[in-house]
Amino acid sequence: MKVIVSRSGGMAGIRLTWEVRVEEQPDPKSWAEFLNSLPWDDVTDSEADVDRFAYRIRCAPHEVVLAEPQVCGPWRDLVDRVRAANGM
Amino acid sequence: MTTPQASDGLRPHCTIVPPYLLGKLAQLDDPRFEKAAAAAQQSLLLDAHLRQRRLEDHPLSRFDARPPRAHTPGESNRTISDAGGQEHLPGEVVRTEGQPDADDTTVNEAYAGLGDTQTLFWTQFGRDSIDGAGLPLNATVHYGKKYDNAFWDGKRMVFGDGDGEIFNRFTISASMIGHELAHGVTQFTANLDYQGQSGALNESLSDVFGALVEQLAAGQSTAQASWLIGEGLFTDQVEGLALRSMKAPGTAYDDDVLGKDPQPSSMADYVETDDDNGGVHLNSGIPNRAFYLVAEALGGNAWVSPGRIWYETLTGRGLDRQSDFAAFAQATATTAARLYGTDSAAHEAVVRAWTSVGVLPAENNQPH
Repeated sequence: MKVIVSRSGGMAGIRLTWEVRVEEQPDPKSWAEFLNSLPWDDVTDSEADVDRFAYRIRCAPHEVVLAEPQVCGPWRDLVDRVRAANGM
Repeated sequence: MTTPQASDGLRPHCTIVPPYLLGKLAQLDDPRFEKAAAAAQQSLLLDAHLRQRRLEDHPLSRFDARPPRAHTPGESNRTISDAGGQEHLPGEVVRTEGQPDADDTTVNEAYAGLGDTQTLFWTQFGRDSIDGAGLPLNATVHYGKKYDNAFWDGKRMVFGDGDGEIFNRFTISASMIGHELAHGVTQFTANLDYQGQSGALNESLSDVFGALVEQLAAGQSTAQASWLIGEGLFTDQVEGLALRSMKAPGTAYDDDVLGKDPQPSSMADYVETDDDNGGVHLNSGIPNRAFYLVAEALGGNAWVSPGRIWYETLTGRGLDRQSDFAAFAQATATTAARLYGTDSAAHEAVVRAWTSVGVLPAENNQPH
């Protein structure tokens, strides 16, 4: 199981990507439960904001695109955990 | 005088000396009143957050007995707030117009950048603040934790401190501060849709005016300027000079982690992508290069003729929200002809620049 978070936009317009392979984490069961609990089907389209980030999050079979203001609650938790797992 | 309602454990706090009188005292230059001036400055700072909170809880109504302070056209009205590492706006007011430097470099950089932007638009284009009507310039610094971005939220500028690994603080570059405020100018004028080519134009216009803010403040001619956007933003760990180069799109950085600067410099390398709202920060390299070519051809200071042509195009009637590169190019040529004549060096430079980057067809490479 793999989750990929790709962030584009922002003032710099630089695309950064972070990836977590769940099986390689010290707590894979916790990761899997967390990923399965995310509201993948509840994401709505939102307008692009000037110089704000856009996040593309993929975890097969799911893929969502979130505007920066939408990255809150469980989505914010996910991004923070993925970045932390990548040393950011 | 209104009284704030008790909330969050705060007791109502009324003051005796009104802020406009404290403001006068704070600006006293007479050495006899040095202590009074310092005390007034301190009082304004201490009370500022309370006054702001009061204003937000009780917005001025048409029944307010005190008339608004008269605005002198061209005079800036800046307020810098500190979000303290949180993501709640606006944050606590830490510096207002006319106050001396704060101890915080970030606060002072934001303050200076707002002022430099006001100076460009007023002295060169006769525009009073970003809305043309003296809109107060507000900024929040220290937004979020290690937040590596800056943005215009429709009402204020917001700056992060950077992550310290890739990015320094986002107030470090005057061109970036001008870039963000210029988004506000675009919002109040052509309001170009932030998607595809219109979005890339939106971005390019912010880079253009951001560069001009920096060049005017530094007194740099076209030949002297670096034409870099965001110089100093990257830490020493990054192999790169800046976020973008208007003179040479695609050369600003080449780093193991970030990759190579992906900006194209002509339509031949136009990037089709779904990311970044259709590549607004990528394809902006093309109109950026066109602006640089106009400035290079005309020489002197870029804020004079090139800046004026771009400004009057943005604020004129030749654009709509979905204008693409070709429409913008034609509009700049029309503006140049109107301002300087169809046989002018300026008009010729504009047409040649857009032809050079592939936006206008080669047969347009004759002044008409």
